Amino acid sequence: MDGATTAPDVIEGEESASVERPLARVPLVLNRRNFSWITERISGAVEGVAPRWWWVAFAITSMVAMFGLFCLGYQISTGVGVWGLNHPVGWAWDITNFVFWIGIGHAGTLISAILYLLRQKWRTSINRSAEAMTLFAVICAAIFPGVHVGRVWMAWFLAPLPNNYGIWPNFRSPLLWDVFAVSTYFSVSVLFWYTGLIPDLATLRDRATTKIKKLLYGIFALGWRGSNRNWRHYEMAYLLLAGLSTPLVLSVHSVVSFDFATSIVPTWHTTIFPPYFVAGAIFGGFAMVLTLLVPARAIYKLQDIITIQHIDKMAKVILLTGSFVSYAYAMEFFVAWYSGNQYEKFAFFNRIFGPYWWYWWVGMLFCNALSPQLFWFRRFRQNIYVVYFVCMCVNAGMWFERFIIIVGGLHRDFLPSSWGLFIPTWVDIWTFVGTFGIFLSLFLIFIRYLPMIAMSEVKIVLPEANPHHASPEEHHLVAAGGGERTQ
Amino acid sequence: MKRVFEHPAEKLTGKRYWRSLNEFSDTPEFRGWLEREFPSGAAQLNGDEWSRRGFLKLMGASMALAGFGLTSCRRPEMHLVPFSKSVEWTIPGKALYYATAMPRRTGAIPLIAATVDGRPIKLEGNPLHPASGGATDAFAQASLLDLYDPARAKRFAEVKEKEENGEKKRVLETRDRAAFEKYLADLQTKIAADGGAGLAFLSEEVHSPTRERLRTKLQEKYPKMRWCVYDPLLTEAQSFATQLSFGDNARLVPRLERADVVLAIDSDFLDCGEGDLAGIRAFSSRRRIGEAKETMNRLYTVENCFTLTGAMADHRMRCPASQIPAFTRALAGKIAIATKDQGLASTIATLSEPVNAMQFDDAWLTECANDLMAKPGASLVLAGPHQPVVVQLMVYAINSALKNVGATLVIREFIKTPKTNSILQLAGEMNSGRIKQLFILGGDPVYNAPKGITIDKDTKAPVDWTDLQKKVPDVVRLGYYEDATSELSTWQVPSAHYLESWSDALTNDGAYLAIQPMILPLFGGMSELDLMNAVLGNAKVDGPELVQETFRATAPPGDFQTAWTQLLRDGFATHVALKEKPPTFNSNNAGGVAHTLWTSAPNPTLDAPEIVLTRSYNIDDGRYINNGWLQELPDPITKLTWDNAALMSPAMAKHLGVETGDLINIAVTETTKDTNGKNIRRELVIAALISPGHADNSISIALGYGRKRTGPIGEEAGFNGFLLRNSSNPHFIAVDSKTVESVSVTTAPTEKQPASPSPGAPSAAPTTPPKVRAHTLGSYALSITQDHWSIEGRGLVREASLEHYREDPEFVKKIAGDEELPARLPSIYSHPPLTAEQQWGMSVDLNVCTGCSACIIACQAENNIPIVGKLQVGHGRAMHWLRLDRYYASEKPFNQDLGEYPENPEIVHEPMMCQHCENAPCETVCPVNATVHSEDGLNVMAYNRCIGTRYCANNCPFKVRRFNFFDYNQRPMGKKKVGPLEVYQEYIAPFTEKGAPDTTKLQKNPNVTVRMRGVMEKCTYCVQRIEEAKIAAHVKAGASPNTRIPTDSFTSACAQVCPTGAIVFGDVKDPESKVSKMKMQDRNYRLLEYLNVNTRTSYLARIRNPNPKMPDANRIAVASLGHESHENGAKHEPAEMKPEEKP
Repeated sequence: MDGATTAPDVIEGEESASVERPLARVPLVLNRRNFSWITERISGAVEGVAPRWWWVAFAITSMVAMFGLFCLGYQISTGVGVWGLNHPVGWAWDITNFVFWIGIGHAGTLISAILYLLRQKWRTSINRSAEAMTLFAVICAAIFPGVHVGRVWMAWFLAPLPNNYGIWPNFRSPLLWDVFAVSTYFSVSVLFWYTGLIPDLATLRDRATTKIKKLLYGIFALGWRGSNRNWRHYEMAYLLLAGLSTPLVLSVHSVVSFDFATSIVPTWHTTIFPPYFVAGAIFGGFAMVLTLLVPARAIYKLQDIITIQHIDKMAKVILLTGSFVSYAYAMEFFVAWYSGNQYEKFAFFNRIFGPYWWYWWVGMLFCNALSPQLFWFRRFRQNIYVVYFVCMCVNAGMWFERFIIIVGGLHRDFLPSSWGLFIPTWVDIWTFVGTFGIFLSLFLIFIRYLPMIAMSEVKIVLPEANPHHASPEEHHLVAAGGGERTQ
Repeated sequence: MKRVFEHPAEKLTGKRYWRSLNEFSDTPEFRGWLEREFPSGAAQLNGDEWSRRGFLKLMGASMALAGFGLTSCRRPEMHLVPFSKSVEWTIPGKALYYATAMPRRTGAIPLIAATVDGRPIKLEGNPLHPASGGATDAFAQASLLDLYDPARAKRFAEVKEKEENGEKKRVLETRDRAAFEKYLADLQTKIAADGGAGLAFLSEEVHSPTRERLRTKLQEKYPKMRWCVYDPLLTEAQSFATQLSFGDNARLVPRLERADVVLAIDSDFLDCGEGDLAGIRAFSSRRRIGEAKETMNRLYTVENCFTLTGAMADHRMRCPASQIPAFTRALAGKIAIATKDQGLASTIATLSEPVNAMQFDDAWLTECANDLMAKPGASLVLAGPHQPVVVQLMVYAINSALKNVGATLVIREFIKTPKTNSILQLAGEMNSGRIKQLFILGGDPVYNAPKGITIDKDTKAPVDWTDLQKKVPDVVRLGYYEDATSELSTWQVPSAHYLESWSDALTNDGAYLAIQPMILPLFGGMSELDLMNAVLGNAKVDGPELVQETFRATAPPGDFQTAWTQLLRDGFATHVALKEKPPTFNSNNAGGVAHTLWTSAPNPTLDAPEIVLTRSYNIDDGRYINNGWLQELPDPITKLTWDNAALMSPAMAKHLGVETGDLINIAVTETTKDTNGKNIRRELVIAALISPGHADNSISIALGYGRKRTGPIGEEAGFNGFLLRNSSNPHFIAVDSKTVESVSVTTAPTEKQPASPSPGAPSAAPTTPPKVRAHTLGSYALSITQDHWSIEGRGLVREASLEHYREDPEFVKKIAGDEELPARLPSIYSHPPLTAEQQWGMSVDLNVCTGCSACIIACQAENNIPIVGKLQVGHGRAMHWLRLDRYYASEKPFNQDLGEYPENPEIVHEPMMCQHCENAPCETVCPVNATVHSEDGLNVMAYNRCIGTRYCANNCPFKVRRFNFFDYNQRPMGKKKVGPLEVYQEYIAPFTEKGAPDTTKLQKNPNVTVRMRGVMEKCTYCVQRIEEAKIAAHVKAGASPNTRIPTDSFTSACAQVCPTGAIVFGDVKDPESKVSKMKMQDRNYRLLEYLNVNTRTSYLARIRNPNPKMPDANRIAVASLGHESHENGAKHEPAEMKPEEKP
């Protein structure tokens, strides 16, 4: 890290100075970091020796993940009864977790695809890790519909395989749509993420010091040479994939919401669900991105790349989508009341005063609707601790929201004789905790072996990347030892 | 015996052709010619006295005698035929049906048993006999499972005392039958030595003429022997009162079909469990109402704890059981004054005014009495059998005054029975050492005999049966289970099931039924008759000889063999006439006895509550404790499974500060003293259950639970109410200062637990539940299948008074809240066409459904539905395809979430099974097409295709789909000790043994798949029966196109079992079918119609018939009143209600 050692990790005062000039466009990378600094800083995290905290963290998360896998094995070998499900409540934590993780998986593709198409350059600092998070969240999500069924070994019935009985899956079932939607989303997200990785993999290949690293990074870099031709193809592919991903961002969670919206359970059967769910997914996804990046930014000293401006912008997205969600909450109550339908009316009454009342008051009202309102104020948007607190609230609140929708709808529906309660078992809890283990383990592996920030893209948005760029202070900076401007 | 098949002559169709004029004229000569194999005379050897046939017979006999073929010569096989070689009259996969009967405490239920490959798999009522009419009850249905119970006694065992770790233990050692027979032979010499002076039999109440005959023979052989009958739930009060009032051998048969007004005084006559299905059907025949102008009967009940009868009632008064005498006296007084009946007046004249009795609502009493008196000869007053003699006498006198005796109350003469001792007499003799040989035929007296059954002469302290039985040198116990009584016997003999043995029985009103075995005893058990026959010293009989001999004595008409065959085929004998007795009430006898026996306990208070010991709806007196189906059957009123509990009113629970599931300590101090001169104190720690509609200051406990030793199903289930029961107050314990000094109910354990229990104290019995915690009693998990009992103003059960129904026959279409629901729009899904010629549907008449729950067990037996165990029921995973929803309705709204209870509600029942929606919401959501619609309107399940996403169950508005959370059919359920831990085996399934016990497998219906774990299941409308009927129709049709199943020629299991015919299944496309006719009625409605699911099952609204003059008439038939509308003050007119929220 010889190139970077010359520059201090954090330059105090610089960022506040830029913030105080409201009319000037705030630079995306602070302290006029140059290409070399970026390469060194980001590749350095991959190339160096794994720090001790990484091993400790990985040991914990992987143990949690293993225990989660054990719980899954126990459930598959023994029966779904090891969870707390019962007769009115056929889905509880399993589908709650599924929707929760799928929701988290939304932010990544939204940041990479939609913001890319909208030419939001600030996305470049966060898109890589957001996309990785998406993939890992979708992996966690995919576990649940896979194993929550009674006969896991027969789950291939969901695939439209031609067979001698002539039985096809039921294409009217939203659960089947889910299978298609989630698998498509996952495939496209993997492609998109990988495509974006190629130039950076090539950088790592070029910088690799051992043969194995060179070989592996070399294979995955697909012979990238950084030529004009390479770049042209790359950018076209990236654009096409962004175009392909954009509708998927909206469709996946819409389809997930159809699981509920097309059914007849009071509180599920609502037309508001697709936009409501998509907004909620982006809301929860951004919160999770921040949850991961705020510590990573501090640990790897990336404050110049992931600046307070980024956090501020993401907080604004959270505020916006949080307000969508709050509006949807309010609208649900209004529609239930306006419909006059006693079953709907009761279900919403039960949501706030029934046995799960505090889930609503704490989870939906406080965490989801109220806590993001702090982001109306720049002071709070730019305060790391407040942001982190709100993000944790949103993470929890979004899980509660899904739980309230699923269990709250099921546990008291039409026939009071069949009303019941859901009480989670230790297997429920540990399966869920286990998916956090899987998610975090994968994320730790990701930041260990792959550049967590898209180096090439960050460089593209640097002023130096603009051929017409001519900064009056350029020479001064170079003289100050910022490093060469190559590539 | 060769089976002779006589097929009925085929009907000729089409043109008739003939071969000759002889054939055309069909002369007898021609017929003879046709049937003869050879021309006339050809069989004779020419010119010889031997016929050809005779010659061959002779030759054959000589060959046999000469020794050839002796190896293949066998005695005729008397057993049922084993199926290792197929028998000519069986078709594999087809059931054979045999008539038999199930003996019961008060009679017997005639049955038809379906057997497949020699295994009985389902029991149905015998439709030919009115005592069943094709219906059965839950116990008869579940008795099949007892046959295959892996825990039943399987061995002859001798009980030995052994020392183990310095402790003396009684251990059952396995012996064979020969050893027992040898022992019995020795015993016979001992018995014969003094003419049977030391011999005693203790048996249960069974009405078997053959048993009576054998008993008479025993009496002849051993004239000094004693015969004693003990059945914990039968008292002599009713029969004593009957004999007194109507003469010897009299038995009362209520004719409910003739009664317009019925008053049930602590009488649960609609309880199917007593086996009186004819009575229930008779009652419901007057309850069923086709259209508004028809009339129906009116039922008043006065009772302590909600019963099925109380749930059906038009007017119900809560009254502690100990206040029933006071109530009856007050009612009798009113009727006596109004009717000026001498008999009634003289019966009650000398009864003193009860002190501190309950204050009854005078208007209620007066109007009830007026209503009864308005229908002389068409009213009926019934008293529960556990009420004291005085109440019975007063009730007979009231009926006599109302001219009901002979009209609605028929007196029948029963067979004369020789003198029977009571268990108290037997206990006295055992105590004095006179009994040397005791045969206990069934029953479990160590568990259920009254505590302190006799007073020891020396110590003057009461003695328990446990100690008495130890004093008898030879005790032979014929028992179905190895239980507490077996342990204290000398020999335990395995008892045969009634489906394994020959016997006979009498129904409630005295009709003669045959009981024939369906299968050889699975574990080589002996029947009661076998054992009595053996004690008589007769040779062992394998066949029906004992019963045949009895039957011969009834003088059957015609040839005996034909009559016998007829008896076995029909299941009953028509020539055994029912004898009527003159309907005269002997008021002289009654008055005198009433005067001597009259007592009236003071009204129970919180400090001195009464304890009522009742029959369990699930396990009777405890005899079905090891029956998983019955254990898991929700109690029809409380919906409690796997346990009993102390039922109490919400007010009482509030005063005591207990919630459902909290343990309470009931302590009864008696006036009798133990050896230390202290008053005997009997205690029971039991979980409380708040039961709306229960009388205040009274606690009801179902008997039969809390057994230490029985099969794995029954062990540790519930609390032993017998611990509180002594011989002087077998049915209710109230402080009367004669036998009971005080009754206390606390939530804390008593000051001191006796360390060494004094003899006679109840804790000496091995049945004390060790459930007491250190300082607080804590709580106990009760598994209740329905937690929410308010209907929340939803039009699920629709109900109206008869008056309202007459005013507005269309009331059922106008239920509060409905008008706000969205209009039914067409379905946007395409649905498979319902093109089949016959379309299946169901209708449930809520007006006659008593809630008896027989349908649940019938469904379970028919469809191989597993039990899931107490813990799983508690987790809400009961598998019943058919459940009975029970709602409490009250005129005032109550919010259950806030812990509010209605004090005095009415109950409505609603059987809930798959509604077979035409636009089924479950079908559209299944991702793998595992649940689809058939052309004949069934919502069918393909178990093989199901992967168990449970989406269908979530989307089912009726929540009738059941998911196999564990491998209920393959893996053991329930607790097991693993090292120091007690684990529930379902949670360690991969480490348990796989596979069901063999005997359990035998019970399964081969036409229904046994489901594995992870699969969704639900009511199929008994699709296997539909298919069977279809196949039969196709076979019958042959090449002709008429494959239509004849109208109402078969039905589903729940409809078949229903004693009141409330459930009707059939072809809804056929206007002539019963179900179509029911659906045409104006009371017909479908559930959640606004969802546009088009259910195939519909309901007929419930009609109650309150007396408008009664003070509580306003709060009757309120189940379907939305509470919002109710507050607006307009009752019975939900249609005109304005919803509270108009935009």
